[in-house]
Amino acid sequence: MSEEAPGQVPAGVRDERTTGLYDLADDVLPALIARLRSSRLGELEVRTDAWRVRLRREGVPVTRTAASGPAVGLLVVAEDVESMGSVARSPAVGYFTPTPELAVGQPVQAGDLLGSIDVLGIGQEVSSPSDGIVSRLLVEDGQAVEYGQVLAEIDPIEADLEAADSEAGGR
Amino acid sequence: MIERVLIANRGEIAVRILRACRSMGIEAVVAHSEADAQSRAVLMADEAICIGPAESARSYLSAASVISAALVSGCDAIHPGYGFLSEDDGFAEMTRAHDLTFIGPSAEVLERFASKAGTRELLAAHGLPMVPGSAGMLRDDEHALAEADRIGYPLLIKPSAGGGGKGMRMVRTARELQQALTVCRSEARAAFGDDSLYLEKWLERTRHVEVQVMIDNYGHGVHIGERDCSVQRRHQKLVEEAPSPAIDQATRDRLTGSAIKAALAAGYQNLGTLEFLVDREGRYFFIEINARIQVEHPVTEMLSGIDIVAEQIRLAAGEPLGYQQDDIRLQGHAIEFRINAEDVRADFQPQAGRVDQYVPPGGSGVRMETHLYGGYDVPPFYDSLLGKLIVWGPDREIAIARSRVALGELLVEGIETNIPFHRALLEDGTFLSGDFDTNLLDRKGAAAFLDAVATPERA
Repeated sequence: MSEEAPGQVPAGVRDERTTGLYDLADDVLPALIARLRSSRLGELEVRTDAWRVRLRREGVPVTRTAASGPAVGLLVVAEDVESMGSVARSPAVGYFTPTPELAVGQPVQAGDLLGSIDVLGIGQEVSSPSDGIVSRLLVEDGQAVEYGQVLAEIDPIEADLEAADSEAGGR
Repeated sequence: MIERVLIANRGEIAVRILRACRSMGIEAVVAHSEADAQSRAVLMADEAICIGPAESARSYLSAASVISAALVSGCDAIHPGYGFLSEDDGFAEMTRAHDLTFIGPSAEVLERFASKAGTRELLAAHGLPMVPGSAGMLRDDEHALAEADRIGYPLLIKPSAGGGGKGMRMVRTARELQQALTVCRSEARAAFGDDSLYLEKWLERTRHVEVQVMIDNYGHGVHIGERDCSVQRRHQKLVEEAPSPAIDQATRDRLTGSAIKAALAAGYQNLGTLEFLVDREGRYFFIEINARIQVEHPVTEMLSGIDIVAEQIRLAAGEPLGYQQDDIRLQGHAIEFRINAEDVRADFQPQAGRVDQYVPPGGSGVRMETHLYGGYDVPPFYDSLLGKLIVWGPDREIAIARSRVALGELLVEGIETNIPFHRALLEDGTFLSGDFDTNLLDRKGAAAFLDAVATPERA
């Protein structure tokens, strides 16, 4: 394993399988925090037989990958911030149907419904990952999409400007 | 006819199925989890489609996701490979309900052979000898103990559902039986969602020999000989070979003949493998049927020249078999070595991580089935099979000699594999003699094989 690859544990941490609480607080946590800070990861999870630590960057929505792997000593679960922060992804493989109002320029809040994916007749909701403005639509009504496919981009900065504009009575 | 297949599996078998499709002029779409986006089958495919996250339950085991993927990618058939949804009659039924062809036995056939206990009853009625065992499922501990007394120890506790050695235990006394029942029940429940168990007499010093059958939808079928899978570690096959070095031609004819006869009479369809235990007197006992393509199918392909996956697709499409038993010719000897990402020295602990370098072996009769490439990251979420090395020779001795050369050439760097174990096995007198049973590894311990060939460290 390459030490620098994302999603892996710093070499110094890897051998600490029996680390006690004091070692955890004094050594492991600072190392992990530094690691998270210097990376582009949104979340970092480390497990040993004795303990589990999960660190998450504030304000970063994170979809976790499954952590039910076999007996690999330590496991880190993480997602790339850039790819997750400002895009709405498909939660399933199927056909995309947007909400009637979905359009570029639409202001949205985190959790707002953007559309749904039809999986064998059952709809799965697509919601906005963050507050902002829909800056780009990448799929059309009825289009086949795969799991994780980017459906729309949400621009958070535009939202701030809009909020500022509204407060100033600009629009 | 099938024109476009969704391959709903991963790893080496996805690559294998992809090649069979290509050779038949069939387009292939590879369904994959997020963790397998860089898998070789995905990179090779005409088209790939992500069906879910790494977690199998939400990707390879999600019937709705797999079928939805087949529909949105314009496929007309699904190949389930092995494991995952391959023997799930509910999935086969759902596939058909969406006008897709399930490449395997029909939902009805899968259902008929779904329960191991039911299958034993059915095939016993069609003339296959069974290992003495409990009558039906164990109701409770009391029933288990009574049945155990009737059959006699040692015994094997087996779950009705599933396979792969999960939930199985050998017990020698009533006390051991009582302790093991609880463990087996919870293992079986966790692995298969069904905790029903049955008992089988543990036969000492037996070999695991299986018969490959192929049957079309019109009741015509052939067997393609047997495979000997006696090199196992805790019921997990490691090395398979054909023909079996342990049985004579008369036993072979009886075994294969009764297997295909019973499978036909019981209404079996498509590809299947009937597994048997064979004792030292050449008596054989049916244990179970595998209603899917098996990991070790290339051993049979090397002897017969038949592309078993292509035949499976053809039969699933409704084509007649088109040949007779007499047309099957089996030649020479073939051995398969399962290459696993496991640290043999650390109790075969599964490994994951980057494969820095991969160099496949070559030469006469040498075949490699794998999804490996240099720079590939082995994900930690799935089983540890990296590939299979299959070596053919005109006889067992030459096949072994060629295997030594091939295993010497095979290079997988970056993660631990069981290649050193295979190399050591080929220096072991008992294996070379061909006279061993399924207990070879567990009795001796894998480390002993490695130690036997270890070169002393130089000062």
